[in-house]
Amino acid sequence: MTPIEIGLISVVAIVFLIYSGVYIPIALGMVSFVSIWLMRDNFTLALNLLKIAVGDSAMEYSFATIPLFTFMGLIVSKAGLGRDIYEVMTMRFRKVKGGIGMATVGANAVFAAVTGSSIASASVFTKVSVPQMMAQEYNKSFAVGVVAGSSVLGMIIPPSAMLIIYSFVSEQSVGDMFLAGVIPGILLAIAYVGAIWFMGRFTPNFVGGRIVEDTEWMTKREVASKTLPTLLLITIVLGGIYTGWMTAVEAGATGALVALIIAIVRRSMSLKGFWEALLETGHITAAILFLITAASIYSRMLGLAGLPNQLQDILAGNSASFWTIMLLYVLLMLFLGTLLDTASIILIVVPLFLPMIEAMDLSLIWFGIITVVGAEIGLLTPPLGISCFVIKSTIDDDRISLKDVFMGALPFALVMLIVLFILIEFPILSLALI
Amino acid sequence: MLKTTLARITRIANLAAIASNALGTLVVLALVVVLNVDVIARGVFSSPIKGTYEMVQFSVVMIVFLQLADVVRVDRLTRSDGFLNLLGQRSPNMAANMRRIINALSAIFMGLIAYITFPEFLHMWDTQDYFGVPGLFTLPWWPVKLVFSFGTALACLIFVLKVITAVDRPHLEAAKSENNT
Amino acid sequence: QKSVSAVVIDGYPARALWVKEFTNFFIPEVDKRLAETGEYKMSWQENYGGSIVKPRGVLEGVQLGLGDIGIVTTIFHSSKLPSQGISGSTPFIASDARAVAKAVDEIAREFPAMQNEFAAQNQVYLATGVVLDSYQMFCTSEVSSIADLEGKKVAGAGLNLRYLEGIKDAAGVRGGLTDFYNMLQTGLVDCGMLWPEAAKTFKIAEVAPYMLKADLGAVNSKTITVNADYWAKLPDGVKDVLKAVAIDYRDHVAGIAMDRAAASEAAYVEGGGKIIDVSSEDRAAWANAMPNIAAEWATTLNDKGEDGTAMLAAYIGKLKDAGYEGVRDWTAE
Ligand code: NA
Ligand code: NA
Repeated sequence: MTPIEIGLISVVAIVFLIYSGVYIPIALGMVSFVSIWLMRDNFTLALNLLKIAVGDSAMEYSFATIPLFTFMGLIVSKAGLGRDIYEVMTMRFRKVKGGIGMATVGANAVFAAVTGSSIASASVFTKVSVPQMMAQEYNKSFAVGVVAGSSVLGMIIPPSAMLIIYSFVSEQSVGDMFLAGVIPGILLAIAYVGAIWFMGRFTPNFVGGRIVEDTEWMTKREVASKTLPTLLLITIVLGGIYTGWMTAVEAGATGALVALIIAIVRRSMSLKGFWEALLETGHITAAILFLITAASIYSRMLGLAGLPNQLQDILAGNSASFWTIMLLYVLLMLFLGTLLDTASIILIVVPLFLPMIEAMDLSLIWFGIITVVGAEIGLLTPPLGISCFVIKSTIDDDRISLKDVFMGALPFALVMLIVLFILIEFPILSLALI
Repeated sequence: MLKTTLARITRIANLAAIASNALGTLVVLALVVVLNVDVIARGVFSSPIKGTYEMVQFSVVMIVFLQLADVVRVDRLTRSDGFLNLLGQRSPNMAANMRRIINALSAIFMGLIAYITFPEFLHMWDTQDYFGVPGLFTLPWWPVKLVFSFGTALACLIFVLKVITAVDRPHLEAAKSENNT
Repeated sequence: QKSVSAVVIDGYPARALWVKEFTNFFIPEVDKRLAETGEYKMSWQENYGGSIVKPRGVLEGVQLGLGDIGIVTTIFHSSKLPSQGISGSTPFIASDARAVAKAVDEIAREFPAMQNEFAAQNQVYLATGVVLDSYQMFCTSEVSSIADLEGKKVAGAGLNLRYLEGIKDAAGVRGGLTDFYNMLQTGLVDCGMLWPEAAKTFKIAEVAPYMLKADLGAVNSKTITVNADYWAKLPDGVKDVLKAVAIDYRDHVAGIAMDRAAASEAAYVEGGGKIIDVSSEDRAAWANAMPNIAAEWATTLNDKGEDGTAMLAAYIGKLKDAGYEGVRDWTAE
């Protein structure tokens, strides 16, 4: 069997198992295990792959952002800060169909400036805004879809773990990559708001939501008391990162502490609630990181099979035009995005295409933004869409199925794809600030 | 007789998962405390705690593998079970059997990881290998290797019990039976 | 003609200097020499950039047979590979990558310690790689001498954080290479210890335009190893070629590192950076204020039953013969 065949068969097997209801990390891990075993006719080697992936993947400093920002989000939501800020943020949008969805996008764009991970964004806003949207009778699929869609802003607007990974693979300056992410991130947020307006206008049933009466206006004093604690938190986390007091991991820890202090001052946190938030944080972290570990077992299996090398040979054998390469690149990322995590996609595709991009004299910074946005679409697409899984495991509400989350996220994935093509066509959007 | 033994084993396994989960939870708390102390020590007193980076890496592993068994216990491991639920409405027996097969597959996977990582723990215990920079800050490797095999072994046991008892979500089932009585 | 397959692994991307030269120098050179006799032909599969292992996982990957040949970054494994800390524990001697690579490699062949350590990990030592010329100190604000570093927060990684123990009130902050730009830009640290090529790659001149040429020294950080089971099955003809090419690769990479270092310093200045020379008295004062980490290193090895003291003396002697004398005699105590 050729590596390409092994790759394809394993993809089919994984998709089949996942749709049959097998736990996704188990499907990824078992298929990889059996693939290596058959491919090399070596049981020990297959076991060794498990061993190294488990030991190698979990021990990552930046992964600590996941429990920390999750914990912060849970505390913020238990303290009622989420409800408060949403009441204020949705006040101006109330008469617009889907207004609270727009507010979620806006809040996510702001939050993206304090987190390096889409996973953190997804888990925080699932806690913060899905219950509010459900309370206002929005369509559940739309509610989770908005959160999934806007969570990707977390890894496009700096700081971003993915931009850092790319800058390492391509030897670009981290500072340049961060600057390059600003305009595309804002552009995507605007496109989402536009899309929500469009959906509210033309597919009102998909959006849902009730008309809010005018009596719900609040006084300036009320607005202040509802927004100041959150602004303080954002200032500390954001300010902490940008003034250089803290890394993203530390900002997560400090943010959690400050959120806790706010909750205690407002007397909205019981010891029991505090313990529950900690337990919940652990569950979410374990489920997500075990999945990431399993995804890494799978991408290592593909590596052992020689799939990346094979693809490189195929590409090297053909000389093609700019748009052919770009289309191929986007398709490859979308395909890998069905089953791999963003970091794995970046690590697999960038080395394949980088020599070609350099030879064509294209900007590697622009290429990095294309890569990160393209790879992030995979966060929203089934069967393996990490952002959607995070949302599903964070809400733990049987009324909302994983399918609802994926269906809700689909329009946003489409908007991302359109924005991706705009970014490909107009490199200035990525390069203007550098 | 067999049934009471099984119930006892299930209770013990679940208690172990809950205890391990609580331990992992304390690690989350420790992470918050250590990082905040470090930020203040570095920013205000210009003397960062040595080894924070290593401690953070360790704690991520601890959180994941100490909580894994409990995630399995409450059935929060990521899955897409739309088809199973559909099948459950039409043919409950077939769905139950499929869940058993899936749990058996999962038990094998967890068992394989426990099996392959346990000798590594013994080896690290013998050699007392450490992680970090000598003279600055070091941590022994063995607790990490132990937590890999402990967490996955316990998860394996819970999956095996789920195969035998055919109950996927114990807390929901318990709540259901309480409502019925 | 018999075909021999080889899976090469490293967790760093294909663009990294030592990986690129493995592809562009090591592999073609082996193929060329094997073609001379025509008895064997290699079939290579190269897996870099985390496609099989992460940088920290190469040692284990080769040990477990996930790769046949690996480029192990030894600084991650100070517990399993203590003797690899030899040049990191002896700063302020030589900034010449070629001299350090040759000296460390000879120590690996003359004393059993390094080969024993790899043997315990089920692998065979081939050669040492030195990929950077010397750690230097890059600062965000103007510095004119070592004394200006007092009380500063300095980013570093691994053993070089211990060098800071020789500077009054300096605090070491651990950071990965990709974090340095941000750490310096945001003021999280005042200075960072890097080598000029990394400074050029990550455009450090933009945020830390003052480079104090402290010449902390070149450090061995890479070792080419082969899985022991794989090695045992290799025909002698292939073994000999691999061994010989590994030594050439060692010198080739160190040579490129030196060429690049010179170009990188020029690029740093062009990018707005300023290089400040440091007197050897200043460097000696710094070195003398440090704990003797070389002696600590030797003791660690002695305790493990290796002849650490003799290795240290031999290593420093080799550098001295090559014309590099340190500002402090690490063997003196
Ligand atoms: Na961000
Ligand atoms: Na996906």
